[in-house]
Amino acid sequence: MLKNYFKIAFRNLIKNKVYSFINILGLAVGMAATIMIGLWVTDELNFNNHFESKEAIAQVFQSQTINNTIGTDPAIPRPLEFALRQDHKDNFKHIVMSSWEQPRYLKFGETNIYRTGNAMQEGATDMLDLDIISGVKDGLKEKNSIMLSESAAKSLFGNETALGKIVKVNNEDDLIVSSVYKDIPTNNSFSDMEYIIPWKHYVTTQPWLELSKDAWGNNSFQLFVQINENTTMDVVTSKISDVKKNASSETAQFNPQLFLLPMKDWHLRSEFENGVQSGGRIENVWLFGVIGLFILLLACINFVNLSTARSEKRATEVGIRKSIGSQRSQLIFQFLSESFLIVFLSFIVALGLVLLFLNGFNNLASKAIVFPWENLQFWLISLTFVIITAFLAGSYPAIYLSSFNPVAVLKGTFKSGRYSSLPRKILVVAQFTVSIALIIGTLVVMNQIQFSKDRPVGYDKEGLIQIPVMSNEFIGKKDIMRNQFIASGGALEMAGTSAPMTNVWSNRSGYTWDGKPADFQEDLAYTSVSYEFVETLGLKVTAGRGFSREFASDSNAVLLNETAVKYMGLINPIGKFIRDSDTENVDPPLKIVGVVEDMIIQSPYSPVKQAMYVFDSDDNTAFYNVRLNPEKSTSENLALIEGVFKKNFPNTPFDYQFVDEEYGAKFESEERVASLARVFTALAIFISCLGLFGLASFVAEQRTKEIGVRKVLGASISQLWLLLSKDFITLVFIALLIASPLAYYIMGQWLQKFSYRTTVSWDVFAIACFGALIITLITVSFQAIKAATSNPVKSLRTE
Amino acid sequence: MIQIKDLEKFYKTEEVQTIALNKLSFDVKEGEFVAIMGPSGCGKSTLLNILGLLDDPDGGSFMFNGTEVAGYNERKRSELRKHNIGFVFQSFNLIDELTVFENVELPLIYTGVKPAERKQQVEAVLEKMQIMHRRNHFPQQLSGGQQQRVAVARAVVNNPKLILADEPTGNLDSTNGNEVMDLLIDLNEAGTTIIMVTHSEHDAKYSHRIIRMLDGQKVTENILA
Repeated sequence: MLKNYFKIAFRNLIKNKVYSFINILGLAVGMAATIMIGLWVTDELNFNNHFESKEAIAQVFQSQTINNTIGTDPAIPRPLEFALRQDHKDNFKHIVMSSWEQPRYLKFGETNIYRTGNAMQEGATDMLDLDIISGVKDGLKEKNSIMLSESAAKSLFGNETALGKIVKVNNEDDLIVSSVYKDIPTNNSFSDMEYIIPWKHYVTTQPWLELSKDAWGNNSFQLFVQINENTTMDVVTSKISDVKKNASSETAQFNPQLFLLPMKDWHLRSEFENGVQSGGRIENVWLFGVIGLFILLLACINFVNLSTARSEKRATEVGIRKSIGSQRSQLIFQFLSESFLIVFLSFIVALGLVLLFLNGFNNLASKAIVFPWENLQFWLISLTFVIITAFLAGSYPAIYLSSFNPVAVLKGTFKSGRYSSLPRKILVVAQFTVSIALIIGTLVVMNQIQFSKDRPVGYDKEGLIQIPVMSNEFIGKKDIMRNQFIASGGALEMAGTSAPMTNVWSNRSGYTWDGKPADFQEDLAYTSVSYEFVETLGLKVTAGRGFSREFASDSNAVLLNETAVKYMGLINPIGKFIRDSDTENVDPPLKIVGVVEDMIIQSPYSPVKQAMYVFDSDDNTAFYNVRLNPEKSTSENLALIEGVFKKNFPNTPFDYQFVDEEYGAKFESEERVASLARVFTALAIFISCLGLFGLASFVAEQRTKEIGVRKVLGASISQLWLLLSKDFITLVFIALLIASPLAYYIMGQWLQKFSYRTTVSWDVFAIACFGALIITLITVSFQAIKAATSNPVKSLRTE
Repeated sequence: MIQIKDLEKFYKTEEVQTIALNKLSFDVKEGEFVAIMGPSGCGKSTLLNILGLLDDPDGGSFMFNGTEVAGYNERKRSELRKHNIGFVFQSFNLIDELTVFENVELPLIYTGVKPAERKQQVEAVLEKMQIMHRRNHFPQQLSGGQQQRVAVARAVVNNPKLILADEPTGNLDSTNGNEVMDLLIDLNEAGTTIIMVTHSEHDAKYSHRIIRMLDGQKVTENILA
């Protein structure tokens, strides 16, 4: 029986090549998009799945209340480690303090590489289940050791043994390679970690690190833990939540609440809003999951529409089969098996499309997804997917086709009823509603990105580079380097800063100033900067002046941004003093010498944070910001600057970043969403148009005789074209009416997450409306004009 | 074999109700060949559809082999149909996508006959209908007469007790028409009951009895043999 069904299905496929092509192509494109989205979603959901103890690993986060707003982040103070080890160690298998991931120079002989890694405590190797290729399992035990990833070891030592060799780190410390571990696979939080240095070594490298031992207020570290088997994250959280609050009266005013964020949440649910977990990338997972489902539905709608539109062709067969004893259930089964066949063929084509476009998709989505050939689960899910799609696409046509009355069909009096095309029309409207909503959505996302890109950043980021200078060899060289850079002709100006201009590395509180309201808990972005900070960045000074070598007192001066002035409630701030409440009696106060325009350092979507730029009297320079000479080409400037750099630091690779590129990276995540949205919107439109094309050709075929008669009676081609096109245009117009308010609402909600946001403006709807109508016209006109220009004698003779 | 009593069937459109069968009663014995005649719209085809269990009567009784089948649901009707009744249509109604062999095989598939047995039965009937040499052709590749022979082959392949023929020669020339009538006679002589709707006096003469209808009612009944 089944063989008979497949046979007839296959012959029908061959016989109606155009419809088969439209059906299979539409479904294949839809399925390919859904498979790719499925692979992407799986990849996202499997983030950090590599770690064997993933269920038990967590990071300690803290929420603090500042001026009634709860801020949450993973930065914790160092004494927390000692408190946990002393009072709560029974809860943990591992307590691992860690630095932030940081690039360092690793040098062996003449080979000098720049790699990212962490400083971590001994439990890390076991907790992260590092696969040791050579050396000791716990390579962090000895203070002067370093663990290297396989690829870092290969870059440094080639095929030679790495073990026991001495690596010079940041041109300062000699560390002995204690072990080499297999590269940590991609798709997890530690995949960039190419070396690990012992924590006990790290904390002795800088004076401030030594001091951090007792500083509950210095939230500069990370703490990872693995909890014991006999407990849960919630239980441990409840035990440790008040540890910091109870330990330090100084920080208790911020009500610090500690909690464990399980490893499974790090990637997808790491955002917090006023102390409550509010999502994160999981929203994109949902978004694209829904888009994938919609695209598949659009493709299924094509199948439904084309099958039911062509039902009259299959009616006779249904009548005959019924008259010779087929039951309705058998017919339903027959039509379902047909849809299964088509869906299966489409699936094979879809797999081909996925293989063809997976690389491009990986680039677009910044992923390294590999096609899971050997994953049995993937194939089982695919089979289920094929069956579900076959049901989704085939159920309605099967029920509809099998319902025909054999008497009417065989008598030849069968005609589809007046309303039989209504479900098809509804489905076309549904298809275009989705497509138009996607067009509007994509346009709004693009507008929002452009809007934020057009936002004045407050400084001139073009022609500005930053050179990282974090190791000790650079200390005290700032002015020499500035002079030489300028003298080389490659630079106009240079300023040192303690953080890059595209990020805040330090937030401070504990200041007093005249007129500070009682109980005001300030939170200020803190960056120490050198002379010429204003000149180098091209900042606009709105009051007072920038730092100047002419004023010796500027060694205790500070610049505020405009937001800080408002935030602190300062009126006429120039000349006023800000005191550090801890060292009030030791350090001289900071004198406000100038106010600068707000510059966007953090998110371009958020308001600019109140910031203080303190004159760097201790040489805490982490970056040289160099204003390139506009008279010369970028490559010339870079060559000159590199020359100066190499002359002074011959053993250090010259590394630099363009500040405008670093700033541009802030849009990466949204731009990725926008590019993916563009691709999937294009696919949705393509699939919808494919269906429309099929329906248009069906209608043209069905109305051949009518068109012939009308032509004989004198209808012009344009009149006929209008006749055949207007129904479809009406449907798309209805879709526009439904999609517009829907998209307006959804995108309005989406924009809410940005403080600095565009509005959903009328031109977005105009473009979507115009675009949808034009695409529809092009799609249906082909068939309409073909029918309208055909010879009427021919079509009438066929009757 | 068939007893119908006061059979009624109405068709309703939005404004009018048409009476297709108006309290029609007659019997057909096993092995009989009955022709039903009458002008267009007299209810012949409606009657045939009800007798073939393709349609439901609106009133009256329909006994098939001693069982009342008038109220049967679709599943029961199709069960009864596939084991007992074969159809021959004026327009042949072959499935274009299936070959001659596959068209004839279809009823056997629905009655669950095993493939080997099916092949044997289909070949036997194609042989009998002298169409064996066309077994792998598609309907469009055959002449009208050949197509109708395939249709007859399909109708009889299951050895039904009753064949319902709706103007079986209506689309055929006289030579082909006579050949089809000869086939029906042969089947009837072999014991199959035949009820045939026809406009052709010539064809009707092949039957044992002619029932003439007008406006959904029986008007005369002539016994020929």
